[in-house]
Amino acid sequence: MTGRGRRRAVSPHHRLGLLAHLAVFAVTVAVLGLDSTLGWIATVLNVVFLLFFFRHLGFAVAAARWTERDLDAPLVGAESFTPPVAVLVACKDEELVVDGMVAALLALDYPHSALTVVVVDDASTDGTGARLDALAAADPRLRVLHRRTGAGGGKSGALNDALALVDDAQIAVVFDADHQPEPDVLRRLVRHFRDPRVGAVMGRCVVRNGVESSLASTIFIDYLSGYLVNEYGRQALFELPAYGGANCAVRTDLIRALGGWNPHTVTEDTDLTLRLLLDGWRVRYDPSAVDFEEAVLSSRRFWKQRYRWARGHQKCLRDYWRPILTTRHLSPMEKLETMLFLWVYHVPVLCGLGLLLIVLRALGIGDQSAVSMVSLSALLFAGPFTELAVGLVLGRVERRAVWMLIGFIPAFGMSILTATKAYLDGMWGTLYTWSKTARSGVT
Amino acid sequence: MSRVEERLNRALARRERRWRPAATPLRRQLVLLELIGAVVGCVGGYLLFIDPVRRFEVTLASRIIDLLGVDRVSGALGDGFIVFGPNLEPVVAEMTGSCSILSSVLALAALAVVALRQRPQALPGFLAAAVFVLAANQVRLLGSLLAGRYFAVDALVFFHDWIGAVLNFAYTLIGLLIMIGLTMYDAQRAEQDRTGRHTADRPAAWARPGLGHRVPVEDTREPGVQIAAVVHRRILPKAVSRRLARRREQRRIDYRVGHETPARRAEIIRELAGKGLGVHTATLLAVASYETDPLVLDTLAGVVAARQWEPVAGGDVIALRLWARAWLMRAPGQRSIAETGRLVAVTGAGGPAGVAVVKALQAAGDHVLALDANPDAAGLRLAGRSAVLPCAGHPGFAEALLAVLEEHRPAALVCTVAEEYAALAPLTPAMDELGVKTWLPDPAAAERCIDKIAFARTMHAAGVPHPATAWTPATLGLVPGPWVVKPARGRGSRDVVLVDDPADLGRAFAAVPGAVVQTRVTGREFTADTLVGPDGTLLACVPRWRDETRGGVSVRGTTFTSVAVTEIVAATLRAVGHTGPANVQGFVADSGDVTVVEVNPRFSGGLPLTLAAGADVVGAYLTAILDPSAPLPTLGFRPGVRMARHFAEVYYTADGTPVADPLDPVTCSVPGFGAARPIAHSPSGPASLQTPSPVRAEQAPAIDQGMFVAVG
Repeated sequence: MTGRGRRRAVSPHHRLGLLAHLAVFAVTVAVLGLDSTLGWIATVLNVVFLLFFFRHLGFAVAAARWTERDLDAPLVGAESFTPPVAVLVACKDEELVVDGMVAALLALDYPHSALTVVVVDDASTDGTGARLDALAAADPRLRVLHRRTGAGGGKSGALNDALALVDDAQIAVVFDADHQPEPDVLRRLVRHFRDPRVGAVMGRCVVRNGVESSLASTIFIDYLSGYLVNEYGRQALFELPAYGGANCAVRTDLIRALGGWNPHTVTEDTDLTLRLLLDGWRVRYDPSAVDFEEAVLSSRRFWKQRYRWARGHQKCLRDYWRPILTTRHLSPMEKLETMLFLWVYHVPVLCGLGLLLIVLRALGIGDQSAVSMVSLSALLFAGPFTELAVGLVLGRVERRAVWMLIGFIPAFGMSILTATKAYLDGMWGTLYTWSKTARSGVT
Repeated sequence: MSRVEERLNRALARRERRWRPAATPLRRQLVLLELIGAVVGCVGGYLLFIDPVRRFEVTLASRIIDLLGVDRVSGALGDGFIVFGPNLEPVVAEMTGSCSILSSVLALAALAVVALRQRPQALPGFLAAAVFVLAANQVRLLGSLLAGRYFAVDALVFFHDWIGAVLNFAYTLIGLLIMIGLTMYDAQRAEQDRTGRHTADRPAAWARPGLGHRVPVEDTREPGVQIAAVVHRRILPKAVSRRLARRREQRRIDYRVGHETPARRAEIIRELAGKGLGVHTATLLAVASYETDPLVLDTLAGVVAARQWEPVAGGDVIALRLWARAWLMRAPGQRSIAETGRLVAVTGAGGPAGVAVVKALQAAGDHVLALDANPDAAGLRLAGRSAVLPCAGHPGFAEALLAVLEEHRPAALVCTVAEEYAALAPLTPAMDELGVKTWLPDPAAAERCIDKIAFARTMHAAGVPHPATAWTPATLGLVPGPWVVKPARGRGSRDVVLVDDPADLGRAFAAVPGAVVQTRVTGREFTADTLVGPDGTLLACVPRWRDETRGGVSVRGTTFTSVAVTEIVAATLRAVGHTGPANVQGFVADSGDVTVVEVNPRFSGGLPLTLAAGADVVGAYLTAILDPSAPLPTLGFRPGVRMARHFAEVYYTADGTPVADPLDPVTCSVPGFGAARPIAHSPSGPASLQTPSPVRAEQAPAIDQGMFVAVG
């Protein structure tokens, strides 16, 4: 371990960077003229789109080739490898879902002597704390930690406090309050730690309330593609899957050595992924380690959730791009993929820019791109659509679900807006703290 | 070192130095090659076919224009038209490469090839998508021409370039959806619906992880017309249809198998494999992947091993063989069973005789369904499967037993409780219907053994030495002392009172329910484990000294031979008319006189010593049950084998979940012993069924009875 993965101090805003972008654009316009500058921007954008299209297509091809076999593959030796595990869950105002979550956690198939379940009541203002206390009284395997109001740190802070309670555990497995893991999920996650290079393992999250709204069923398909195709492809082709925020396991000594989960980011999962990679560890992904979670039900919640993801993810790029390019733990190809991964939430911003250029071009402003703008912009859609389609096939979803893919077109539009707002806010340094996702608790 | 070896070593060293990529870069290269192939295919296909495709599309559009009767649009002129606008101004509408469907079709084809080629439905999906794209582009072309004809030349350009571009994007996307949709599965074959609910009814143990949230789904869809069924029934020749069905079956996992009971699963697997390993390969492989019941896995390994002559039909068959090889070669400590594939029910599994029979059957390779009235009976934890039944005298006994037998379908039932014979005898026809064979002794003979009064009368009548016995107060005085007072119908040493003082005799007689009084016999106590064939032949007689007993069960003993004992034992059994297993208890006096005290018409608690001495009475009895006409050999034994019993334990939680034995090195180290299953309660009948972990039998090596140390 090199210590490069420890949390680092970062600038709260990047207004100078934003200003520099504008200055470069102004200078280029002054030198080349507006039309030519716009033509060059369009060309660069198209090259970026092309790169991402082939990246997504590569993931789709890899997933189509191997995912189903991986899902069918029998478990080997999962029963005989059972290091002490601590399951950690941070809850804030989760009264609607804690019962199901605790029941699922207590039903996990893992030796009782090697399993500790710690649920953190993070200063809930509803009945979460009382309900957890009642559940803990009924089953001594459950430990509840109450955090006081203003303890800070959001989910990361709660997890760090919970981690301090579990000295004996070798592996910490994190779930969110709305998650209900399958009983075998711990064995499936933990088996990968046989490899001493593995620092963290990610499982697969599946939406369980798709029936509650059309948005939820769209997110269900989005998750299918995200986990069965994108995440799988990243592992199959680059061994670089991302550690997610829930249904994921990490070595406790490692997370302690890295200074715990980062309370200064709203996507502590991506942050930790990068710190692990920078420290020479590997993250693994197990598509067969499944837990079920709730999708948001309204566009407003969807916006808030995706904004948080975009904001945090973009911040990770700003925080880590330099160390990634200089680390010796990643090969050039792995550095490229990691950078593309971190660029994912910037691409919708570029896509919005591309659409703007198309409109300007239609109005006669701006030169033609060196490569066709419209057709390559279509490729930008084609990549995710291919992933979504392959996800549906791999998930063996019934045929009529294919028409739901049309619903992704407005979703793409929305992602352009959320990512653009997140980018501008992040560069400007608008204050942003942890935003809890509201649950329905119906399914 | 020879020159050949030197050259070989040099070649190996060279090979070692050569850089070989790891698996992930290889996968990356493979996918990259596919992408490059797709791009080359698209570009090459475009260059090769663009002109003929353009001409074809123009010709098609021209024919449609003709059919529509639109004037002022010329026929196809190579790859274009001349359109005369509203003011008769001519414009040449040339079809460029970007107007053609070729790029869309090539993109769809490339996607189908690189991502979907392993799915046979992708081809019709692609064809349907291509036809749709062609039709949609014709609409675009015709719209452009009509806009030019009826509005203005600019309208043609606007419609074609801008609206057409959107249309192009839309129909290519819809074409993609059509292709993917047809590649996807219909509702019958899909595993989840569009909201993520599991619909395939896969058994939980066979589920692909994460394919559907398991909540009740009400199927409200009307059954529609099955196109595939119509094609198979009405269009395809029978031979082709059968061939396609065979191929489909080879790749289809029959989930229904997973919902059956283990015994039924084993039976189905035998049937499926009997048709050939290459016929239902996917189902067999699914069993190897997901199954946890040793009975089923043994059956699968057995049938795969038995069909090694079969030409290998594919990689999956090789995988099956590899699995079967590993299963059959697993370490002895992990072997829970041998390969008979039989399931045998044992009643009274909690008693020492039941435990001994359970272990003897398991050692011989049979699976055991342990039955007992006591939910805490240790024997229930030793067997692979178990169920709790009411006592034989309970009115629900018959119903509960038949429910359990119907659930598990054992091949045979071994009764180790003599008191159950009467309750079981009327059930034999029902058991026959379930395919459960058993062999019960003549009820009258069993009654003669169980009832000590009837037994005394029989012995007296047959002239077999038997202690003087009285069962009425009036005749007590005729029995010489010292005495033993015991119930006329009792087991073990329950309620047995030894009396030396004549003054106490009457009190003891009154205190013991249904008492009989016998002269207490002196000498060395023995038990002879016997097996009498259906024809009355004494097949086995293994006498053993009862050197020490606890609770009526021999805990130390030694086998011995004695002609006198054997003769008296044979005479006793002949007198009572018993067939099947029995143990005859008696004494050998210092004078050598042999006296028989009682006969238990069942296996004894000291059975392990008899088995250790080499007389497999359990195996012979089972053979006779399964095939009554089979000739049974006479069983010899080794005298002088001693047995010293010790306690052993099984651990489990209140809900029946096994708890690992911390003192057992095997269970602590062998993989696969952690899986515990909760007790599954029977949905009907008073019996509560347990399906313990398949490895439970090995996990708990012994119980409080039954372990023995054999010393030659």
